[in-house]
Formats: sequence, structure tokens, C-alpha cells
Amino acid sequence: MIEVIDFTKQYGDFMAVDGLNLSIAEGEIYGFIGPNGAGKSTTIRFLATLLRPTSGEGRIAGHSVTQDPMAVRRVIGFMPDDFGVYDGMKVWEFLDFFAVAYEIPRLERRRTIGEVLELLDLTHKRDDFVNGLSKGMKQRLCLAKTLVHNPPVLILDEPASGLDPRARLEMKSLLSELSRMGKTILVSSHILSELADFCTSIGVIERGKLLASGSIQEIQRELRAHRVLKVRLLNESPERFAHVLKEHSAVKAESVNTIDRTLSAEFEGDGSAQADLLRRLIDSGAIVEAFDEEQLSLEDVFMMITKGVVN
Amino acid sequence: MGMFRDNPVLSRELLVNLRSHRAFILQFAYAGILAVAVLVAWPRVDDGRLGASVTAARQLFDLFFFGQFILVALVAPTFAAGSITGEKERKTYELLLASPLKPSWILIGKLLSSLTYLVLLLASSLPMMILGYLLGGILLSEVARAYLVLILAAGTFGLVSLAASSYFRRTSSALVVSYLIILPLVIVSLYLASTEDITLRNFVSVTLLPPWTIAVWSIVIGLINLRLLRPPDVGSEGKEVVDEEEEQKYAIGVVIDRDLFPDKLFAPAKRTDLMPDGTNPVLDKELRSEIFSQGTLMLRVVIQVSMFLSIPLMAGFLFWRPMPGWYICYVLTFNLLVGPVFSSGSITQERERQTINLLLTTLLTPGRIVRAKLLAALRVSTVLTLLLTEQVILAYALVRDLQLQFWTIIPFFLIILVTCLMTSSIGLLWSSLVRKTSVAMIATYMSLMALFVLPVGLYRWSLSVAQGVSDEVLRWILVPSPYAAAMSVLIVGDRPTNMGGDVQPIERPLAWAGVPIWVISIGLFLVISLVCHVVTLIAFRYRWWRARESV
Ligand SMILES: Nc1ncnc2c1ncn2[C@@H]1O[C@H](COP(=O)(O)OP(=O)(O)OP(=O)(O)O)[C@@H](O)[C@H]1O
Ligand SMILES: [Mg+2]
Repeated sequence: MIEVIDFTKQYGDFMAVDGLNLSIAEGEIYGFIGPNGAGKSTTIRFLATLLRPTSGEGRIAGHSVTQDPMAVRRVIGFMPDDFGVYDGMKVWEFLDFFAVAYEIPRLERRRTIGEVLELLDLTHKRDDFVNGLSKGMKQRLCLAKTLVHNPPVLILDEPASGLDPRARLEMKSLLSELSRMGKTILVSSHILSELADFCTSIGVIERGKLLASGSIQEIQRELRAHRVLKVRLLNESPERFAHVLKEHSAVKAESVNTIDRTLSAEFEGDGSAQADLLRRLIDSGAIVEAFDEEQLSLEDVFMMITKGVVN
Repeated sequence: MGMFRDNPVLSRELLVNLRSHRAFILQFAYAGILAVAVLVAWPRVDDGRLGASVTAARQLFDLFFFGQFILVALVAPTFAAGSITGEKERKTYELLLASPLKPSWILIGKLLSSLTYLVLLLASSLPMMILGYLLGGILLSEVARAYLVLILAAGTFGLVSLAASSYFRRTSSALVVSYLIILPLVIVSLYLASTEDITLRNFVSVTLLPPWTIAVWSIVIGLINLRLLRPPDVGSEGKEVVDEEEEQKYAIGVVIDRDLFPDKLFAPAKRTDLMPDGTNPVLDKELRSEIFSQGTLMLRVVIQVSMFLSIPLMAGFLFWRPMPGWYICYVLTFNLLVGPVFSSGSITQERERQTINLLLTTLLTPGRIVRAKLLAALRVSTVLTLLLTEQVILAYALVRDLQLQFWTIIPFFLIILVTCLMTSSIGLLWSSLVRKTSVAMIATYMSLMALFVLPVGLYRWSLSVAQGVSDEVLRWILVPSPYAAAMSVLIVGDRPTNMGGDVQPIERPLAWAGVPIWVISIGLFLVISLVCHVVTLIAFRYRWWRARESV
């Protein structure tokens, strides 16, 4: 549905984005993450037909971003990272303005505006001046604006920035809801936990380069080589068993924590190697309370990727 | 003295203002122009006749004085009118107010910083003035008096603009209101200064002017202080939400009612329901929401001041002596002042408010957007300008001399309408070329001033320089000026004696074309408007792709 091919953007000598390739299938929620200044907004603005690339191409629903921007605009709903609102307009006028700008007939407008206001829980603000809305409200209003022409693709640049925790949760469930309605969503953020639970795929970008891209499971699988096993023992002085780990061929490094009696091992093996390690530990007299792979949080993934551990 | 030496507002502003290369380039350019003026006047000094140098010196002196007076009137507002609104636009105003700085410090800092540059400009003319003095014929006291008047004018105009800046939310509003208030002051001062009566001149400039100026200053300073001490409430993100109805309740004087004629012509009623299909949403938005988004204060002031000014002018030029050209010049000046307000911000504001990205990802084409912006600006400025022409129609209906030449009303209206189109087009052009509204606005004013006034100055100058060339040819220089166009419409009738015969030179046909100036002017203005529109469209399309790079 969304495809970026070798997108490069240069500002003077500075490479903001360098040969980025990306492919997002229909119905996905793609989380685009990276630290500040990584090039997220640059890529997103390119896809939103607002930025001429130094080189490269993008396609949305089969339309070329550079050749046929009008067709692209018809199918995308775009929410920029920073945006303003017009003065002297009420909420419904604001939405009507954009609905007309998307050439939606009047009858349909009446229905859609009501619907998006309902969906974003803004119905009670219908007759308020947009300028008087709080930051979070404006954020929701802008999201409402992206939905008035019912686009199949949503491109959202940090939609949750400036929202309180509760509003963030609401934003998440809203995006999941939209995804259930069959929309393809590209959403950027530098806060990973925001994307973790509802994105189907993520892409990690730093200094203009895509470091990793794929479904969350895929990326974690890629990180398999570096997973960490945690063994909690009931024995006194667990350090006695450290040699068992050391001698195992799949263990790259190990450490002991005597206080909570755990051994951890950086492990590079498959499932059977893992079972073998457990057997050996038990054979050598260890009383194993727990034997588990440490759950990598998205933060860890992110740190590992940006530290260059992967790729 | 601490107020001056340790004033953070002053030092910061001075740094920003004077550090730019532009400031120095301007200064040099200015000194250069003055030097050229002196050089041009110089050769005529030794054409043998006694007293010729004295006449030359006097002319030079007058040129310097009037030129600089107009310069002060033009430039003082450009610095001062943005000084407080700029803080509001950058959202730093609340920071400034919340700081322990006293309002009077802020005021002094802003005033001095906006005037320093102007005073520097004036000072750089001093060597040339002295040179003129050396030619003889001028008293040193006259030079001193000229500078006194200039400094007083700079202070007054600066303070007026600062007051406007403290009352309005946008630089554009503050700027236009400042110019409107300064306009009558300039007309009266220039009139007084051009009198030949030396004693009157002395009396006015030395005895009358200083105490009155000081009195006006203290009133204006008091007003600004009051405003800074008790700023109006601002809502979230420092923005005020204007409730029109609420505001109208407390309005003094004219009240704008969107439902009544003629107000609804420039301010159609707000919508109560969705737009009909096929509406250009940008046009609709501009007319119904944007114009009043900053409140009605600016428009009300503009309408009241212009009406107030029109009364004596109407009495003088339409009824007492039927010289409608002069009154039309006033109407054109009004358009020159208000035209840019509605056009020069219309693209830059989308950028400043960060709505441009939202707009550009819709299906609206650049062509439709630019057209809507032009139409909206044109409509508002034209209707406001035409409000001043009902007096003209009245005069044509009542004054016999005019009744007899009723057809002359046609060129007058054509000139007004085409000038409206031209001022709006030039404003929109600048709005598409630069990033900031204040810059677009000032650039527009400068271009329009150049167009309106420069040809007249050039023509007068060429009369003395190019003596072999006939007047029919020289008058081609006047074609770009709407003033000249208005004055070139032939009106015969009862004229004051010092104006000579029945047909004025300016009303005679031009060389080659065989028609009077206004015919060519109207064509030229249309061409200028068209070219501006095309360039605007190209610039906007170009920016449209480079949207990010230009933020
Ligand atoms: N107009 C410009 N001129 C020069 N450099 C620019 C321009 N726009 C962006 N950049 C640079 O390009 C890089 C990428 O910027 P971008 O806005 O895409 O980052 P981002 O990932 O969206 O960051 P953030 O999380 O802060 O929003 C930054 O280093 C930025 O400084
Ligand atoms: Mg960004």
C-alpha cells in the first residue's frame, strides 16, 4: 500500500534521509520510530507530497508521490507534526472547510462531519472556536480533519505528542479502531511504548538510515542471536553453577547475581540447545526455580538497534 | 539613566537590528542617494548668475527636508508598529510581561530601539546638509530647526506606532492604523512647512510644535503604559479568542454589522450551515472568518479615521472648488494604505500559523488557492475604498460644474478600481515571495510608495535636468503613478488662480500616444496586476514543493 524506494533527501551537504526503502502492506499499522532529528518527518512529508526528494520514489496505493500528487492526496489523510488552526472558525466550520477542500458533496459532508466528531469525542465542542481548544483537543481535531474524506491510508506524524497519558491511551485505541476499519496507518513517534502494543510492524530510523524494519516478532527473531536467558535457582551460592553455563557451547557470556540468585547468559542457540542447557544445570545439582528468556521490551530492541548491535 | 544603559529590551533589540548587514547596506544606499542629489544640484551653482547658488541651496535644503520628513513618516512605523505585536506573534509577549521589567522600561526600550536606526539615517544626511549650507543662503538656525522638527516627528510617529502596536495583535493591523493616523499629521505639517512666510514657519516650528509634541507624547506614553500594565486576557498558547458579538457591545463609534449594507459587502455573515457544493472554501474562509479573526477594532478605526478625514477634503475639493482629482488622490491613498493589509499577509499567514501543510495536502490546486486569496483581498479593500466614493457621486449630482462633465466620473472610477486590483496583486505577490507577514507588508508598502510617489518626484526632477525634452515626452514618466492618472483627467471649471489656465499641463495628451496619462495608466496597471498574479502563482507552486525547506 505504501512503498518508499531509495528515498534520499539532502539539505545542502547534510543527508537528512539516505536511501530509505520501506514497504507497508494494506491494513498494517506501521510504527516509524527514531530519535529526534532521525528523518521521520522528512520521510513522512515526502509521502504526503509536500517535499521534493533529492532522489527516489514513493508510491501510495499505486500512485506515484512525485508524478501524481493529486491522486495521492485523495487517498491519504495527513497529520503533520506541528500544525496550526485558523482564527475565527468554529470546530464544525473547520471540518467543513477541509471537507469542501476534498470535494465532498454536501449531503455526505453533513453525515461525515457528525461521524468524525462522534468518533473523536468532539461532539460537545462542535460550536467552539478552534483557537480556544486545548492542545490535546486540537490534536484530536486535526485527526478528525484527516478522516473527513475517509482515506484508506493515514499518515500521522507524532499524533500523540503533547497528549496526557489518558489521551494517549485513547489515541491508541482510536488507531486500533481505525485499523479495524481497514485503514493502513503509518504513525511516527519517538516514544516506543506508544507503538509497542498496537503496531503490526515497526521501522527504526536513525540519522536518515532505516536500521531495521519488519513485524515486531520478526525484529525480535532477528535479535534472537542475542537473547538473554535468565535462570533463577533455589540453591545457596548460585555461583557454583556458573561453570555449567561457561562450558556450554551456545553461551557467549554469563553473569551471576547472588542477591536474587539468578544466572544470566547471553545465548546464541536454538530451542534444543536451550533444553540441553537446562538439563545440564539440573544434572549438576541445581534446583531451578525459573528458566526463562528475558523479555525484550521495545525499548531494549531500540537501544540494541541504535547501538548497532543488529545489522 | 539605568533605564537606558541596563535596559535588556533595548540592548537586545539594538543588537538584532543593527547587527544585520541589511542595516548597513541601507545606510550606505541612503547616503549615496543623498550624495547623488547634491551632485545633480551642484553644476547649476556656477552658471554665472549671482544668487543662483543660493536658489540651488534652498532647493536642495527643501528637498532634503521634505524627503526626510516623508522618510521618517514612512520608516518610523515600520520599525515601531511591529515591536510589540512582533512579541505577540512570536509568543514571547507573555514572557516579557511576566518578567520584572517595568512597563515604562519596555516602552523606552522598544521606542529607542525602533528609532535608533532612523536617527542614524537622519544623522548620515548631516554632512550633505552642511554642504548645502556652505552654498550659502541658508541660516544655521534653519538647519538646526529642520533637524528639530525631524526628530520631533520621528518621536511622535514612533510613539503613535508603538501605541498601535500595543493595542493590536498583528503587525499588519498596527502598521495600517499607524499610517492612517500619521497621514493627516504629515499633510498638515508639510502644508505648514511649505509656507513662504518665515515668521509663521518660525512660530510653528519653534514655539508651537515642541510643547504640543511633548504633550502628545505624554498622553500616548500614558496610554501605552496603561495597556502594558493591564494587558487583555489571553487564552491558551497566548492567543486571544475573539468573540465578535461580545466585542461589538463595547465598541465605540462605528459598529460593523455583517447583516447590513454596506458592511455585508466586505464582511458577509458567518455561516450557520455547511457550504454549498462548488464553493471555493478558501475564499469563503477568508471572507467569513479571517477578516474579523483579529477583532473588528482595526477595521472600525480605519473606517472612522478615513471618513473623518474625507469630510474636509470633500468640502474643499468637491464642493468649494470642483477639483475631484485631488479628492480621488485621497481615495487612492486610502487604498494604498488598506490594500496591503488584506493581501500581503494572506499567504505568509498560512505559513506562520502552520496551516499551510494542511491546506497543501488537500485537493485544492495552487491556482485555486491563490485566486481565492486575491479575490478575498480585492473584495475587502475595494469595498472599503469605494465607501469613500459616495461623496464623489454626491458631488457629481449636486455641483453644477461637475454635472456638466458627468462623464469624467468614469475614468475616476476606472482608476480607483484598477488601482485596487494593483495594490492587492502586489501585496499578494510579496506574500508569496517572503516568509514573514511583517516583511511582506513592508515590502508591499515600499513598492507601492515607489509606484505612487516616485514617478512624480522623478518627473519634477527631470523637468530641471532634461531641459531640451518636451513636456509631452517627459510626462510619460508619470504613467506608473495612480496619482498622476487621477490628476490627468480633464476637468474644466472654476480653479484657484495660482493654478493657471483651464487645461492643466498634466491633463494634456502624451507624446506619441495622443491620449492623456490615465488611459495609458489603466492599461499599465492591468498589465502589472496580471504579471504579479502570474509570478505569485509560480512562486507559490515553487514554494509548494519546497514547503519544508522554507519553514
Ligand atoms: N529545511 C531544512 N534544512 C536543513 N535541515 C533540515 C531541514 N529540515 C529538516 N532538516 C534536518 O533533517 C533531519 C531530519 O529531520 P526530521 O524533521 O525528519 O526529524 P524527525 O525524525 O522528524 O525528528 P523529531 O523526532 O524531532 O520530529 C534533522 O537533522 C533536521 O535538522
Ligand atoms: Mg518530526
